[in-house]
Amino acid sequence: MRNQIIDIRPYGPVGAEIYGVDLREPLSDQAYLETRQALNMYGVLFFRDQAISPDQHLAFAQRFGKLNVSQFLAPVPGHPGIAEVRKEPEQTHNVGGGWHTDHSYDQTPALGSVLVARELPDFGGDTLFVNMAAVFESLSDGLKNTLLSMRAVHTNAHVFGPKRPASRGAISDQMKNTDKAVQEAVHPVVIRHPESGKRVLYINQTYTIRFDGWSEDESQPLLNYLFRYATRPEFSSRFTWRDGSIAFWDNRSTWHFAVNDYHGDRRLMHRVTIEGTRLEPAIM
Amino acid sequence: MTHDHHLPMRLLSQNIGAQIDLDLSLKHEDWVYDEIRKAIDRHGVVFFRNQSIDSDQYAAFGRRFGTAIVPKSDIIPALNGSQEIAEVRKEPDQIGNIGGSWHTDQAFRPHPYWGTLLLAREVPDFGGDTLFIHMAAVYEALSPGLKATLATLKAVHSNARVQAKKANGKPAQPDVIHPVIGTHPSDGHKFLYVNPAYTVRFEGWTDKESQPLLDYLYAFAERPEFMCRFRWDVGSLAFWDNYQTWHYATDDYAGKRRVMHRIVVTSAPFS
Repeated sequence: MRNQIIDIRPYGPVGAEIYGVDLREPLSDQAYLETRQALNMYGVLFFRDQAISPDQHLAFAQRFGKLNVSQFLAPVPGHPGIAEVRKEPEQTHNVGGGWHTDHSYDQTPALGSVLVARELPDFGGDTLFVNMAAVFESLSDGLKNTLLSMRAVHTNAHVFGPKRPASRGAISDQMKNTDKAVQEAVHPVVIRHPESGKRVLYINQTYTIRFDGWSEDESQPLLNYLFRYATRPEFSSRFTWRDGSIAFWDNRSTWHFAVNDYHGDRRLMHRVTIEGTRLEPAIM
Repeated sequence: MTHDHHLPMRLLSQNIGAQIDLDLSLKHEDWVYDEIRKAIDRHGVVFFRNQSIDSDQYAAFGRRFGTAIVPKSDIIPALNGSQEIAEVRKEPDQIGNIGGSWHTDQAFRPHPYWGTLLLAREVPDFGGDTLFIHMAAVYEALSPGLKATLATLKAVHSNARVQAKKANGKPAQPDVIHPVIGTHPSDGHKFLYVNPAYTVRFEGWTDKESQPLLDYLYAFAERPEFMCRFRWDVGSLAFWDNYQTWHYATDDYAGKRRVMHRIVVTSAPFS
């Protein structure tokens, strides 16, 4: 891949560290193009040692599309376009502590998010990512063919809606509008990535509840198999945050997981999410 | 004169792993080695980076913790006839790696060896990470009822499945039996001692009866909260406790060479 400006260092089965750009400045057209190509190729980009303001954070994200403002996460004071992902020392549950892709319950799921570390624990709080294109391509031909013909139902009602089980913990001070959490969407199980053209397994453990037309009981064994299989280390990377770290992930081709292993410490992240396009099946 | 005997150490996470900043080419006072052992007892695995040590220095370091041995093995041969160091090697054209599934080293032996040291001599630019799970943290997170039940059980371990995959005609070792909940020799803390590679069934149960509960425990143990993932550079050294950890060697660097030097050390058994 031609990259005249950004310096790309692959990180593992998914993701690459990006050096050579200062995100306080607007991206040049060439830097933008290279960054977008790198995102499509690696699924998640990790920038290090960046010191950007909330306005610069918004400006960077808006180069890649329109803002998608979360109706459930509380905004950063004074910046309604930025969602706050916060865990206080006394809180036991975190946001994003299960495998998921953001917004898969929306009719038009987000393109991706730019997450900036604002306050980190001394250790812990890594974020893991999975390469869902690699997962799909590694399945047997028979299972691939079957999945290509299927669609799945995604919902957020059981995650942060009013009926969410008590076992998911109290996160009400980080969440708002939870009574509106009744979104449901049906997407192809295997999507054609709108930019890279890759075939991607588009189901996830948090929001996918069944295959379209199947009962939940019928769906569970195959879904669980796929959920567990996808977490094999050969498909994933584990990103350790440092002050100044930024992660920019493609929501269509990756899963992520926020590790909740820093009890007693605060962790504060700023998230800006970018609008996506409607998802099309890998076979038409 | 008393010292505050603290190693320059940074935790990787709440449950597992610590990085210790020491130059292992130097001789250290005895308390340093005691503290390293304590860190392994507590955190399951410790990591040292940027080490320039030759095989003699490496073996001398391993010997500080017990008897260094090279277990008989077809796949991990001794390094140039060494009695103490073995070589874990994957060549660029080689398909399949060693240790590419969750396992505990040596669980199929009657008296599993305590410690493994792995020193990176040649590694790919990226890929080939090793992941670790702390089985004491996994044990602590189980319900009181399941803990109590598991404490009454023993499990059968065998390398038959691993041998069968190798298809080299060598017979498996005889089955061995270990308690499902181990008690650590350091301070008596408990850990879950089953693993997907070598555990066959609960003693007295059939394989079929055992599988659902074993599978539950395996999936539970693989939660990222109990896990760390180590990215190697040349000169990185990992030192882990086989009693209370699992590990997994990621096989994602086809076309590249990876050479690691391994030392296995024995110590007091668990019960």
